[in-house]
Amino acid sequence: MNKQDYILSIKDLKTQFKVGKRIVKAVDGVTLDVRRGKTLGLVGESGCGKSVTAHSIMQLLPKAATIVDGEIQFRPKDKPEFNILKYKRTDKKLRSMRGKQISMIFQDPMSSLNPVYRVGDQIVENIRQHENISKKQAIKKTVDMLKMLSIPMAEERIKDYPHQFSGGMKQRVMIAMGLISDPELLIADEPTTALDVTIQAQILDLMRHMQDQLGFTIIIITHNMGIVADMADDIAVMYMGKIMEYGTKEDIFLRPSHPYTKALLKSVPVLGNGGNERLEPIRGNTPDPSEMPEGCSFMPRCDMATEACNKAAPNVDIGGGHMVRCWHSKGGAPHE
Amino acid sequence: MLKYFVSRMLMLIPMILIISFIVFIGLEFAPADPLTAMISPDQMSSMTLEDMEAMRESLGLNAPMLVRYGRWLVNLLKGDMGFSIVTGTPITNIISNLLPSTIKLTFAALLVSTFMGLLFGILSAIKSNSAIDYISSVLGVIGISMPEFFIGILALLAFAIRLRWFPAQGRTDVGLGAFGSIKYLVLPACSLGLVLAAALMRYTRNAMLDVLNKDYVKTARAKGLPEWKVYYKHAFRNSLMPISVLICLRLPMLIGGSVVIEQVFGYAGIGSRLLTAINAGDYQLVLVIVLLLSIVSLLASVFIDLLTALLDPRVRLGGDIGGAK
Repeated sequence: MNKQDYILSIKDLKTQFKVGKRIVKAVDGVTLDVRRGKTLGLVGESGCGKSVTAHSIMQLLPKAATIVDGEIQFRPKDKPEFNILKYKRTDKKLRSMRGKQISMIFQDPMSSLNPVYRVGDQIVENIRQHENISKKQAIKKTVDMLKMLSIPMAEERIKDYPHQFSGGMKQRVMIAMGLISDPELLIADEPTTALDVTIQAQILDLMRHMQDQLGFTIIIITHNMGIVADMADDIAVMYMGKIMEYGTKEDIFLRPSHPYTKALLKSVPVLGNGGNERLEPIRGNTPDPSEMPEGCSFMPRCDMATEACNKAAPNVDIGGGHMVRCWHSKGGAPHE
Repeated sequence: MLKYFVSRMLMLIPMILIISFIVFIGLEFAPADPLTAMISPDQMSSMTLEDMEAMRESLGLNAPMLVRYGRWLVNLLKGDMGFSIVTGTPITNIISNLLPSTIKLTFAALLVSTFMGLLFGILSAIKSNSAIDYISSVLGVIGISMPEFFIGILALLAFAIRLRWFPAQGRTDVGLGAFGSIKYLVLPACSLGLVLAAALMRYTRNAMLDVLNKDYVKTARAKGLPEWKVYYKHAFRNSLMPISVLICLRLPMLIGGSVVIEQVFGYAGIGSRLLTAINAGDYQLVLVIVLLLSIVSLLASVFIDLLTALLDPRVRLGGDIGGAK
């Protein structure tokens, strides 16, 4: 594949948190390619670093976090590519990228909108930050976008405050805000976790629908295997700050090769798949991120662990870009 | 909304009545006898007990307490505050002479403290755990723990006596231009404002830090807004709600502080007059001044509600029910 086919290439990203005197390696060498116009699902348990990865792309990390290493190559369509990490958090280049070329929507729509401003004004603010158009035009654009996201009576509702919207409607507003400047990449950090299940489906449908119409790329972060199966073209499975397995949706669901991916799939109930089958939880707990095991981080919980796993596992392509970080994967058997 | 505030204002009336009654009873039990305050000891010694009794009778001091309270209240409503029993001047005159300068002092102190408190509070929140944060937090603790009269005395020693930048005592509105009278205001206003500034600074810092952790601040950054806009438009605007409540709540304390500070700087205002009135047993005057101060406190609390509603659409429009329209 051509380099231009990837809108974003993350290479060996390392993001650390300082907690008191300890250092927590939240993201520990993530390498990831995102195909243009497709949807990448980033899955993993809570605390595996998926959200930190997403925030690193936007450089919207909390103060305690620092990106210590890596590069994030962003390739906008008609502009020269650049390494996001080369710029300071507050650099003009990044500011003109945020909300314009890359947008992000967050987990909790209830707290993501500023309670003291009208919803319309908050979206207009995004437009006018990046485009030199009149307020009237910006309002019209906002109303059009809200209509596209099927918010009823959009002309009236832009004058309302966030607390007058329901959770699902707020998330639609957030999506509208994210898409208003026609971004090339939309990062959705657990966009439906705070919503109830029926609304979840609506929001996901809406995102897919908008993607078909506008052709942007999505990175969707979730711990929900169902959502990934539903939305994603490609999937990256993350564990303890590392990508364990990466491949197309078919690769991951039909040919899971990493023991962690297999275990994860076994622990998820599948509707209509025999009534009384027992789910298999993954044994043990996630290790304390500040005391990561040497070698493969999944080793303490892995049924297949052997002596070789005491050394860090290699990232092996087992065919067609299906990457697995395990000594036991096909071709990844202890070599060297 | 309007209805709410009208009812809120009407509620003040019974509250003011209750306060005036309590103050009246309180002074009733005070050991001061109005007659000893009115008449010099020389004269008193030449009076017989009957004379004094007749005098009490003519002043209406012998009527039952409730009757006297009623009389006083009715006169007050007519705009007649009575006379100072020590100096004999109408209380209306005393108040109208002294109140403006106390208001001036209080607002100058409010201005000083709001400006300093917000400025350093915001700075130390934005640059939390930096040198400026540590320095202002140490100064803040010192400011909070020192009483204003002590700060006042220190300021007096340093800036008026040692450096001679400002006059040490007094207040002049007559014969001096606006700038000339400001000279007399600087030291008392700053010493009075400093304590509030310190409290406000700590509070602003915490309120800002709290808001800066909110998701909508992240949203603002995700839109690509410059940092100053994130801080000003999104963070500060939201922390303004708790901060404005604190400022209004502290307003009565500022007035209370002016009682002491006016004394330190010999600044002729309603506060220092209250002290002399208490010492002289001038209970009529004390009554009016205390009532005045409590009305200001009550108005401040109504003002807080009004301000909160203005600043927060969730309060103004009510109902945090999702989707309800």
